[in-house]
Amino acid sequence: MATLLVRSEQGTLRLQLAAGESVRECLDATDLRVRAACGGSGSCGACLVRLEQGEANPYTLAEYLKLTPDEREQGIRLACQLRPLGDAEIRLEHPAPPSLWHSIPAENLAAVQGRRPELDRHIYGVAVDLGTTHIRVALWDRKHGKRIATRRGPNPQGVFGADVLNRLDAVQRRPQRADELAGLARNAIVHAVRDILARDVGEVTPMLAEIGQVMIVGNTAMLALLSGHGGTALLEPDNWQSPIDCRPRNEPDWHTLWAMPHAEIALAAPLAGFVGSDLTADLIASELTAGPPGSLLLDVGTNTEIALWDGSTLHVTSVPGGPAFEGVGIRFGMAAEPGAICRVRPEGAAGGYLCTTIADADARGFCGSGLADAVAVLLGTGVLKPSGRFAVPPGDGFRLDPANPRSALTGGDVDAFQRAKAATAAAMAELLKLASMGWGDLQRLCVCGAFGRTLDITHAQAVGLLPPIAPERVELRADATLAGCERALLAEDGIALLAAVGSRSHAINLSQIASFDDTYIRHLRLRPVPPVE
Amino acid sequence: MLNNIIKAYNEAVFETDSEAAFSVVNQALADGITAEDIVFQVVIPAVEEMMSRITKDPDTNLAQHFMTAQIAASVTEKMLEKFQHPPEIIGRVVIGTASGDLHSLGKRIVMGCLKALMVDVTDLGVNVPAERFVDEAVAFDAQVIAVSAMMVHTATGPKGAMRVRELLRERGLEDRIRIVVGGAPYRFDEQLYKTVGADAWAADGVSAGKVIINLIREVRPS
Repeated sequence: MATLLVRSEQGTLRLQLAAGESVRECLDATDLRVRAACGGSGSCGACLVRLEQGEANPYTLAEYLKLTPDEREQGIRLACQLRPLGDAEIRLEHPAPPSLWHSIPAENLAAVQGRRPELDRHIYGVAVDLGTTHIRVALWDRKHGKRIATRRGPNPQGVFGADVLNRLDAVQRRPQRADELAGLARNAIVHAVRDILARDVGEVTPMLAEIGQVMIVGNTAMLALLSGHGGTALLEPDNWQSPIDCRPRNEPDWHTLWAMPHAEIALAAPLAGFVGSDLTADLIASELTAGPPGSLLLDVGTNTEIALWDGSTLHVTSVPGGPAFEGVGIRFGMAAEPGAICRVRPEGAAGGYLCTTIADADARGFCGSGLADAVAVLLGTGVLKPSGRFAVPPGDGFRLDPANPRSALTGGDVDAFQRAKAATAAAMAELLKLASMGWGDLQRLCVCGAFGRTLDITHAQAVGLLPPIAPERVELRADATLAGCERALLAEDGIALLAAVGSRSHAINLSQIASFDDTYIRHLRLRPVPPVE
Repeated sequence: MLNNIIKAYNEAVFETDSEAAFSVVNQALADGITAEDIVFQVVIPAVEEMMSRITKDPDTNLAQHFMTAQIAASVTEKMLEKFQHPPEIIGRVVIGTASGDLHSLGKRIVMGCLKALMVDVTDLGVNVPAERFVDEAVAFDAQVIAVSAMMVHTATGPKGAMRVRELLRERGLEDRIRIVVGGAPYRFDEQLYKTVGADAWAADGVSAGKVIINLIREVRPS
């Protein structure tokens, strides 16, 4: 990894650049994007930057065509062509207007195989992972099996509440809000697609007309809210076991609003009222049922979804652990973005700590994996006790870096972590119990969702978040949900592929399991998971 | 000797260490202390201490609060099995979550504390229709109906506590039976319990113990 310093009117950004990565690719995952309209082929010439320090690849043919000799003399380059050979420093004079939509970094994307060579019209397709907090979108050339670009941005329904219940409640109180919430999510999806087309393809309206399918997965409430049906039926537990209508209301209107006249719009059916098709997508991406009995999948989020394959049945459930693992409700919590503390290590004999942040930026707060690591490390050094109390009350939080107030962890943060990890672990324990299994029967563990790829497995085990299983049998899959949705998009009959997973699954409602509360309380202490009872 | 036991037990509860709490209690039994003394001299004062601590500091760690209530309940349950005579019960309560609500944890904590305080509790489970609350309260001769609701629509909706109040009125039971409510929506609006027709509310599972005992005493003077 080399360091890339980017100077602009907005200040200086310090980024990590992978070998062979272009400056544009690196910037696309940040707030500071270059202007662009060609997807990085060098044909639009919009992404001008000045290389001020460092060695880089020679000028490319595209740069000879798009830059004047004077510009080349001054060190001007096209960001999409510029590949520094080591540490480098650039200046960006006219960045693109700020956008909520960022490219998903390559290391968080799964390689997805599949193509539809038989297609000769409307060959493009869009895969959407509609999350409560974030929306992820990928545009594909389905005929050639090529992912054109991806985006990740916030779900704008968040103004009606961070969690699902508040949004359903908003609709319950004013039914006309159903249209408003549906519209927010629907517009967000098409904004992401338009952002891709504008920057990575260079043509918007004609390309929208070439999109043949939009495949959307998500939790049940998000799909119901997007569909326009409002989803208030989900507030009645009696409806949780029955199918929830998630087909788009007024589909012809969607075609008009999205300017996608030929798109088949598929909202993948949820597995149950409380288990969405995002889990279905995870299961497709991880091929969980192709693995040995005792394969467990966790999709960690505000609502954590869990699947256990016991060799004959796929037990699925969900548990509302709260948004702590997404950095919400934590004093200095944040998403896994540059500046988020993602790893913590004890350092030196004097009781210091080393915090690693995403993109090596200055620490601004904790993401989910950093929170888990901080709790585990402080437990290990005796600063925290297994009850969750600080051995010495730290007043306004315990600073891992005494010089940085945003590296502080408070008693309330530890409490939120304890409750989230207990809910997750207790749900796993109850599923194993139903399958007559124990922790020792686990052969494979896939951890998808909020933790991304930075979770320290042994630390997560030490505080009872993950079960005792050899770390090499744990797979951290950052974007399994989007990958599974992409697989369905590229399959000849994606809906049938998703439905096949559904037909193997058996949904369990933990609120009907009498022992769940006791199990949850047994898992609240900061220690390795107690045996399954 | 009892003082040392109290000290060790309180230490274990403070550390939320259920195994340590049980080993203190088992050692006390082995040393000849009666189950009655353990409950009345050790466990109940510890619960009362916990109540006063939570009242003083409403931001106390919820995870610790759940764990300590659980220890109190499970120790009491074990000790009750060893009582020479059935203990004197302060009163009876039926408890459940409101119609449409499946959040059972708050109820679980309240039950744990009530058991430890010698209140007889009947758990009606989750998603309990208003009619059932009233029928079971009558059947068990309960002084208090406790309705837990964690969501705004189940706390304030027409099928929850509000309906229980209507039924008590219709059946002429208002002198005999009190209604207590608890759950997140009541914390955000401290007057909400009145709107839904309850006689009282409690901010958390532990202080619910005290509130419920006060209601029992209103209708069943000791």
